[in-house]
Amino acid sequence: MRRNVPVPATLGAWLALILLPALLPVGVAHAQGATERTLTLGVYTTPREAYANGIIPAFQEFWKAQRGQDVRFETSYMGSGAQSRAIVGGFEADIAALSLEPDVTRIQEAGLIKHDWKATPHGGMISQSIVVIGVRPGNPKGIRDWDDLCRPGVQVLTPNVRTSGGAMWNIAAIFGAALRGQTSAAPGDTAAAVTLLSKILAHVTVMDKGARESMLTFERGIGDAIITYENEIMTAKLAGQPYDYVIPKSTLLIVNPAAVVDTYAEKHGSADVAKAFVEFLVTPEAQRAFATQGYRPVEKTVGAEVAAQFPPVPDLFTLADLGDWPKIIKKVFDEGGVYDRALNAAQGTK
Amino acid sequence: MAGTRRIGAWSRGTLFLFAAVVIYLAVLLLLPIAALVVQVAKTGLSSLFGQVFGGDALRALEMSLILAVIAAVVNGIFGVAAGIVFVRHKFMGRRVLDALSDMPLSVSPVMVGLAFLLIFGRGGWFTPILDLLHFKITFAFPGLVIATLFVTLPFTLREVSYVLLELGEEEEEAAAILGASPWQIFFRVTLPNIKNALAYGVTLTIARALGEFGAVLIIGGAISGKTQTGTTFINVAMEERRDAAAYGMALVLAVASVLLLLVLEALKKVEIKADEE
Amino acid sequence: MKKRFRAVIAAGPMGPGTRLAVILYIVVLVLIPLAAIVEKGLTGGVDGIWRAISTPMASKALFLTLWTAALMAVINAVMGTATAWVLVRHPFPGSRFLATIVDLPFAIPTLVAGIMLVTLFGPQTALGAWFGRHGLQIVFANPGIVLALLFITMPLVVRAVEPVLMELDPAEEEASFTLGAGSWTTFFRVVLPPILPAIASGTIQCFARAVAEFGSVVVVSGNIPFRTLTAPVYIFSEVEGDRPAVAAAVSIVLLLIAIGLLFSTRWLQGFVRRERV
Repeated sequence: MRRNVPVPATLGAWLALILLPALLPVGVAHAQGATERTLTLGVYTTPREAYANGIIPAFQEFWKAQRGQDVRFETSYMGSGAQSRAIVGGFEADIAALSLEPDVTRIQEAGLIKHDWKATPHGGMISQSIVVIGVRPGNPKGIRDWDDLCRPGVQVLTPNVRTSGGAMWNIAAIFGAALRGQTSAAPGDTAAAVTLLSKILAHVTVMDKGARESMLTFERGIGDAIITYENEIMTAKLAGQPYDYVIPKSTLLIVNPAAVVDTYAEKHGSADVAKAFVEFLVTPEAQRAFATQGYRPVEKTVGAEVAAQFPPVPDLFTLADLGDWPKIIKKVFDEGGVYDRALNAAQGTK
Repeated sequence: MAGTRRIGAWSRGTLFLFAAVVIYLAVLLLLPIAALVVQVAKTGLSSLFGQVFGGDALRALEMSLILAVIAAVVNGIFGVAAGIVFVRHKFMGRRVLDALSDMPLSVSPVMVGLAFLLIFGRGGWFTPILDLLHFKITFAFPGLVIATLFVTLPFTLREVSYVLLELGEEEEEAAAILGASPWQIFFRVTLPNIKNALAYGVTLTIARALGEFGAVLIIGGAISGKTQTGTTFINVAMEERRDAAAYGMALVLAVASVLLLLVLEALKKVEIKADEE
Repeated sequence: MKKRFRAVIAAGPMGPGTRLAVILYIVVLVLIPLAAIVEKGLTGGVDGIWRAISTPMASKALFLTLWTAALMAVINAVMGTATAWVLVRHPFPGSRFLATIVDLPFAIPTLVAGIMLVTLFGPQTALGAWFGRHGLQIVFANPGIVLALLFITMPLVVRAVEPVLMELDPAEEEASFTLGAGSWTTFFRVVLPPILPAIASGTIQCFARAVAEFGSVVVVSGNIPFRTLTAPVYIFSEVEGDRPAVAAAVSIVLLLIAIGLLFSTRWLQGFVRRERV
């Protein structure tokens, strides 16, 4: 005997019961009220803590004091390259805070950034760091410099250049150090630099999507050395991870840009908040938040304050010493470039 | 009589087989779940509740639930309608459509994300129309809905089709002969017959929707507070070293799955009982 | 009478309007997205596809995907059949519980499954370290991939074989024993032939499912290019790296495999007979 319960009725009742309370808090579209503004950030993987724990709360206070409005933040953290392409591909971020200049330039070239974002006192940059080699506590394998990464039995971590900005800084640092004669390769010898790079790549065990993912893999016990941002190691140490790191003799200065994505900010009616936020990023308060997480500040006074925190580098070079980003990308990262050749050569030696 | 053996006798071979199977299942299924529970216990139950039921975790969970409900409703209706159409009708292209509706089971979630990006993303096939309508699909809620609908499409359909096939048309025929209208036949004859299959399919749909990861990651971007689902939240939480939150959410989803599993088993029992009547 | 019935069901909820809606739904949700992938993948023509999949990374990824899925399918075929056999023929206290557990991988999110495996077998765990000392790395290596795939697809073979086993008449086996045949002979000559199509069907389904797997593999494998990077993860990184044409090209290969497998399964089941999920 079948029970004569009308199916649509019970089904509908259940659905209503479940749907109603679920729909209430999650609004599909947030209307920008007079007292609540929304900012959408597209950031690369490592500065999460700096933003979540320091900068965002500070800015919310600041804006509340200034304008009496609450600011709600929607955030996305992804590898810099992936994030940049997502924004170009339709992710409507009001602000792009990425790892390297080309990732912001890509957004500008897509017509989404319409102002000269580099016309700030710091050239559009909001934080700095250097490329370092993270090692296990006590540095059991005695890694001191780039060449040590080629030693037999040393396992290296570095992320995937397609998606990670950090990966690009890493490769540029090794390549640059080699060209500058600070490694086993002779100065100016591109072929030797490629060989060094390929030897190191042959020792890479995992290539994650982003710098943060790479750090986490290291924490899971994989690898003897991780090539990463100095700030990433410091953030990890703050989170209780027992790392040491080694600063190679010659390494690259990392500078991170941030810019308002005009098209989307205007579309969301948040252009003013967005502009204020980007300007806020270089105020002493925000810079101190960055410094706490291990970023070298761009702002001079804070820089002086925390100088003791950051060891000096024997040969610190900048990208300008290697050329400019478009040239480097063409030479190193494009198809058939230095990186591709090194990767394929590394494959051959496995 | 030499060689007589009862089926079910516990010979040495059987014992060995039995042990092998039990060990296999235990290692492959029970141990991982136990590991997860242990991990959660290690990170502390109180912090678990704090983390999972606070802020963005809760929103992510809500998002997953909403998507699951939408998928259950829409693909439930589709499953019934398409089941009827494929089993009771004959028309050109039926086999192709039937095969197409099975595709989501073998299409990789990353391909789903790619496909919808190609259609709705920048430079996509339908993007000009979307821009005109000011309707956003990629990196927004509608995109998540569409991706979830794709991956959960076959479940209810398969269950309902199976039952419709088994039952044949006699009851509906009889009702028609007795003068019932199409809608009456549907509500009074067809629907009650497929009730169980429908429930079973809907449960599978919900389970699949809760578990979707790759497609929603690509199409939604895991924007916290906007396109974050339970699964992509776990991903993000692990990246932020918020282990308590990540394992907590994993446990919540796992518990939800187990509950759904129990519902499935109960439905199976009801089905068996109904068969025996 | 039949004509009247046909006329009746050709109206209302089972009528042409429903049929049209169903067709449109499938076309828009499944056909068009898949077509978009094919179109994108073919931007360089068939040559382009060959170029995309013959790069060292892509070809290794495809090869890895296929052999891990194949190995896992073989293991699953054997162990799944054994499990079904034990559950059907040798019920024991607690076998109900095991039967329920077998369905668990269907309900659990694949991402959570991957996390569970890492929690259990990761290099920093007791188990993982033990295996490591014996030279076998599980997580972030190929064994981990096979394990994850095994977990995810485990129910498929069991559920395909179980119903067929249940319908087998024990009298045949009994007769075989009476005639003096041993267990293994009985198994291979009496039991296996009728269940072989079901085993094959289940195995093919789990192979197809494994080829497409993303969520668990991306967590467990370490995603090392040339070594533990599978095709779906490769597609994912190409999508994130804004190379949709390459992603689409590799996707086409996976799509062809899926279609091929789909048709083999159908051929094994007979078109209209749909299998319980």
